[in-house]
Amino acid sequence: MKTITFDQKKTSSIALEFDELITDNIYSWTEEDFAAYKVPVGNSRFPITDYFDITVEGEAESPAEVKMILNGDCNRVKYIGCKMSAGEVVVNGDADLHVGAEMSGGVVTVFGNVAAHAGREMKGGKLEIMGNTKEFCGASYIGEWRGMSGGEIIIHGNAGKQCGECLVGGKIHVLGDCDILAGIHMTKGTIEIDGNVNRWPGGQMKNGNIVIHGKVGRLLEGFVEQGIVTDPELDGIVYPGRYIEYKGDIALNGKGTLIIDAEKNRDRLSTWIEEDDEYNAIREYRAQ
Amino acid sequence: MTYEPPVTDYDHIVENCTCAFCGCNCDDLDFLVKDGHVVAVRHACRLGASKVMEDMDQRLLVPMVRNEEGVLEEVDWDTALDTAAKYIAESVRPVFYGWSETSTECMKEGVELGEYIGAVLDNQATICHGPSLQAMQNAGYPIQTLGEVKNRADVIAYSGSNAMNSHPRHLARYAAFPRGYFRQRGRFDRTVITMDPKFSDTAKMSDKWIGFEQNGDYGFYNALRAVLKGKKLQSESVSGIPAEDIYELAAEMEAAEFGVLFFGLGLTHTLGKQRNIDIAIKLVQDLNTNSKWGLTPMRGHFNVNGFNIFMAYETGWAFGVDFCRGYGRYMMGETNTIDLLVRKEPDCFMVIAADPGAHFPNGANQHLANIPVIQIDIHWGPSTELADVVLPGSFISVECGGTSYRMDGVPIWMKKAIDKPETCRDDEWIVRELKERVMKLREEPNVADEYVPNEGLACLLDK
Amino acid sequence: MEYILKNGIVYDPANEVNGEKMDICFKDGKIVEDVSADAEVLDVTDKIVMPAGVDPHAHVAGPKLVVGRLYRPEDERRGVAQKTKVTRAEAGFSIPSCPTTGYRYSRMGYGTVCEAAMPPLEAKHTHEEINTIPNIDINPLPLFGNNWFVMEYARENRIDDLAAFIAAMLRVSKGYGVKIVNPCGSEAWGWGMNVHGYDDKAPYFDVTSREVVRALAKANEQLGLPHSIHIHPNDLGHPGNVPTTIATLDSIKDIAKSTKASAGVRDQTIHCTHAQFHSYTGNSWKDAASGAEEVADFINKNPYVTCDVGQVTFDETTTMTADAPMEYDLFKISGLKWANKDIECETAAGIIPCIYSPKTPVSTLQWAIGLELFLHIENPWQVCLTTDHPNAGPFIRYPKIISWLMSAEKRMSMIDNGEVHKWASKRTGLAGLEREYDFYEIATISRAAPARIHGFQDRGALTPGYNADIAVYDINPNDFDPSKDPEGVEKAFSNAYYTIKDGQIVVKDGDIVSTKQSHTIWTNVIGYEEEEKQIIDSIMPFFTQYYSVKWENYQVHDHYVPNPTRVDVEAK
Repeated sequence: MKTITFDQKKTSSIALEFDELITDNIYSWTEEDFAAYKVPVGNSRFPITDYFDITVEGEAESPAEVKMILNGDCNRVKYIGCKMSAGEVVVNGDADLHVGAEMSGGVVTVFGNVAAHAGREMKGGKLEIMGNTKEFCGASYIGEWRGMSGGEIIIHGNAGKQCGECLVGGKIHVLGDCDILAGIHMTKGTIEIDGNVNRWPGGQMKNGNIVIHGKVGRLLEGFVEQGIVTDPELDGIVYPGRYIEYKGDIALNGKGTLIIDAEKNRDRLSTWIEEDDEYNAIREYRAQ
Repeated sequence: MTYEPPVTDYDHIVENCTCAFCGCNCDDLDFLVKDGHVVAVRHACRLGASKVMEDMDQRLLVPMVRNEEGVLEEVDWDTALDTAAKYIAESVRPVFYGWSETSTECMKEGVELGEYIGAVLDNQATICHGPSLQAMQNAGYPIQTLGEVKNRADVIAYSGSNAMNSHPRHLARYAAFPRGYFRQRGRFDRTVITMDPKFSDTAKMSDKWIGFEQNGDYGFYNALRAVLKGKKLQSESVSGIPAEDIYELAAEMEAAEFGVLFFGLGLTHTLGKQRNIDIAIKLVQDLNTNSKWGLTPMRGHFNVNGFNIFMAYETGWAFGVDFCRGYGRYMMGETNTIDLLVRKEPDCFMVIAADPGAHFPNGANQHLANIPVIQIDIHWGPSTELADVVLPGSFISVECGGTSYRMDGVPIWMKKAIDKPETCRDDEWIVRELKERVMKLREEPNVADEYVPNEGLACLLDK
Repeated sequence: MEYILKNGIVYDPANEVNGEKMDICFKDGKIVEDVSADAEVLDVTDKIVMPAGVDPHAHVAGPKLVVGRLYRPEDERRGVAQKTKVTRAEAGFSIPSCPTTGYRYSRMGYGTVCEAAMPPLEAKHTHEEINTIPNIDINPLPLFGNNWFVMEYARENRIDDLAAFIAAMLRVSKGYGVKIVNPCGSEAWGWGMNVHGYDDKAPYFDVTSREVVRALAKANEQLGLPHSIHIHPNDLGHPGNVPTTIATLDSIKDIAKSTKASAGVRDQTIHCTHAQFHSYTGNSWKDAASGAEEVADFINKNPYVTCDVGQVTFDETTTMTADAPMEYDLFKISGLKWANKDIECETAAGIIPCIYSPKTPVSTLQWAIGLELFLHIENPWQVCLTTDHPNAGPFIRYPKIISWLMSAEKRMSMIDNGEVHKWASKRTGLAGLEREYDFYEIATISRAAPARIHGFQDRGALTPGYNADIAVYDINPNDFDPSKDPEGVEKAFSNAYYTIKDGQIVVKDGDIVSTKQSHTIWTNVIGYEEEEKQIIDSIMPFFTQYYSVKWENYQVHDHYVPNPTRVDVEAK
């Protein structure tokens, strides 16, 4: 196991690009290699040691044996873990654009907020963000109709607009709130949102699942109410509780499933049966 | 409007000039010239005519450099160009923004300079029809030339665009009024629909006004698509429009022989942004099952489309192309001017034929105040107050020839009608001079030692 | 500057040189008999020397290319390469940016490419792009098949007027020859319709494809243009289109080839492009099968016909054609993003991304039909190597196609190993074809034949006096079995050992070492000045009323053709 620690010395107003500093490339590097390395900054390259103190401990034969730790405010460090296939990256602070983009394996954890395009076109692995993230989390490259295809993204804070755009596989779990158009154009995979959702989840979705445990601001006409479901099972996972199920987006003959918490969105239902033993039981179970 | 008597006092007429105002690029203008100045313009709208005639209003005539006291000081061309070239050569994250009111010939010099130094090249699309470009990249781009609209269209829809005010001759020359080959009675053969929260001047002359609520665009188009798919609406009204009106509109659009949807910034800059256009494009694609429909973004500047086309064939991407690593990159939120400025990344900013001082959000302009700004323009404007070097250019289509692309992609040669002021230079010349001076000051950064093909090109990889 | 290419093994089909070891000399951009002792020696001992490649049909510059680039950033991303001291940054896979296009053609040893569809209204745009493409000369073909004036003249059978109109339009748009795409069909698309078959009428204009094609062929021969009519027949990509294809080719049987000197190079009176897309039998994709044998048989019997293939290469590419209704049909099948561009009074174009996968039955069928055409057409002078770039695949796959053509073993292994779908053996006769191309035939289909078909009198051969456009490939044909080593063929033809353009070495050992400004090749008809003036006067009222630009702005000024190669045609 090899641990490479980047301790921030100074910040840069122009973003540093870390696309070459991924586990797949640096697993064999020594401290001397880092000292000789120049990191791309704008149209120039500057020594990485101007910005970070780098310490290397242990040995690694493959990228999977590397743990990369970035300590400091990395909100001007782009492409952390971009295209990596194995290993572990921990950012103790914020991170900039493209964290974990196109990664196919390994684990990236950010203990701070993250800018846009986190986990773009992810193929595998796990990306965990303890803070908030901005637009296009787990989305596709612009113009591409195949977005994130595998792996898992967990966001403990809130997600920005168009989270999971063009999702074709994998899972995104947002523990906070989500802005508009979560899961737009998605064709497969699952998005689970614990918090509230602004307008229009699942716009133009063809297939896949969106689960919302909070309140939904406004739904599109393209989603047709299927009634109340209890403990629905989607792709083998049971979501305990009572939900209103929708199918859509029928504006393009989509067959996606959108389930939203029934109680929090009860104003959407014309009939609401207050006395429901089954539901009360679940509520009590949850309260425990 | 008061009556203005026709201008009779002129030396000669220059015919078939092109208007350098909006994306309509009307190429049937006659300039009436007296003493080397355009004194009147025939056929143009008020916007175009006043831009051409008042070319000397607040005109930048001499190069200027901001001195140590922070005051713009008149200097000679060499000093100004050398100062500007030094700023560019020393920069790490230069951004070259603008280009929409100059010719593709000038852009050609610009892209060479940008590729050399590793700059971001971006144009006004980033603050206007960028969402339209993003949407077409996601959904497609069914367009037609404006002559097709004139000859064939029987249903014309304006969405989020007040063409009567922004593109005054659009309706008169191309869309609603002209007598087309298959529409010999002009306006009487056409139905005009305006979709706009505001009862705009365009809505006033339309046959139908759909005044959906603000930020309701996406929901409205989604409902319209559902209706076209034969689905029944569940709500009584969508985005403030009664369901029966949506059924009626859908039927009317589907019955069109040739329909065209023109959309403007009302659609691109409300909630949902590019997704509003995205779904409008999908709507047009659905309509083509039983009818014939196309769409066209109502581009603003006369060559804003030209820059996108030019960049696409020179570099592969339309706007916001970042060359800092020696190859092109295009990424929303990363390589666009506003995002870069708000993130306080750029350390040198060249603005050519644009006015960020007037158009950019405050956060972006705050950063512009802190970094060297080079302005190439013909008029004094808010950007001049931010500029550290001012290089007076010339007026394309009046003082200088050049190529531009109309909103529908038709290329037009904009010819020269009068001479430019003696102390000004052509934009093309200025950018070429800057390029040559920068090349002398700094060796080209980020050049690969040898050609390495992209992994996407497997056949070229192993030699 | 004088050069001598020493000891190469030369394949020059136009001069019937088949694998002879000889020296090729060139001086000041032209091939010469002999050079002085001061000439620089380029040692190419035992390497293949051929004239530089000529692509008879590709889409490399023009408005629909730009729509493709504008709306497919994800494709541009697939071909990104960093700039070098010589080359600019590259981008794009199926629709590369203009500089990239030039570099990649050069690396394959190509020197001339035909841009096969130029709408006259946007000709300026096409020329701007041509000027941006380095290292290759380009002859653009303006579109005539759905032009409103052409349809009028064809209906009324006014061949003289049509000839004058063609002469005027070639001058106005700086074009090279007559291109016809889905005649009458793209006009019908103006109303969301299409024509079905060769004798279907365009709505309103009351004229059939047959009348339009015959009229254009007659006018073309009357003028004696260097190239024949260049046709993309109706019903492209529809199962059961073989009768339409054959009817189209058969219909101009009685039109004699021009006797003028300018038309003397070529043998054909009709060039059918991307024949692969026009050789399907059946009624729907359920029962579609190969009609390659029937089409090839017709071509074998009729020397007045030539074709290029449009070979499918199994890539994710972009289809773009002036056959807009067909593109909408494709969009309905794939559901991917659809772009369309209708151009007033002239044409239309459609564009969609397209994935040809060896695992899908239809793509495999198309792939096999293309190869069948190559192998069934006996005379290599009647068939050319194309992928209809980017429609059936990007042009960088030409070497791969060459390797398939040269190795029956490779083709059989693809079928037998299940590398391609079983439709290849079930619905086509490809598995039964043993024929293998040799280097002489490859040189014919990729250089000599396209040059002759386009009527070039300055390229496509190593004749003294011709342009010094030469390609050298690092293969010793006496010590190499292409049938056994398809990868070696692909590698060598992908990375030319030398590419020489107008006497300038642009590629050495697969790397671009220098760049040069490309030429625009256009046809200047002499002798029709009076008729041209009359025809322009007669169309002017219509033009002013129904076009959206002024005539003055419609024309391509010399500004857009800074580096022309003018081909003069004495039409009278």
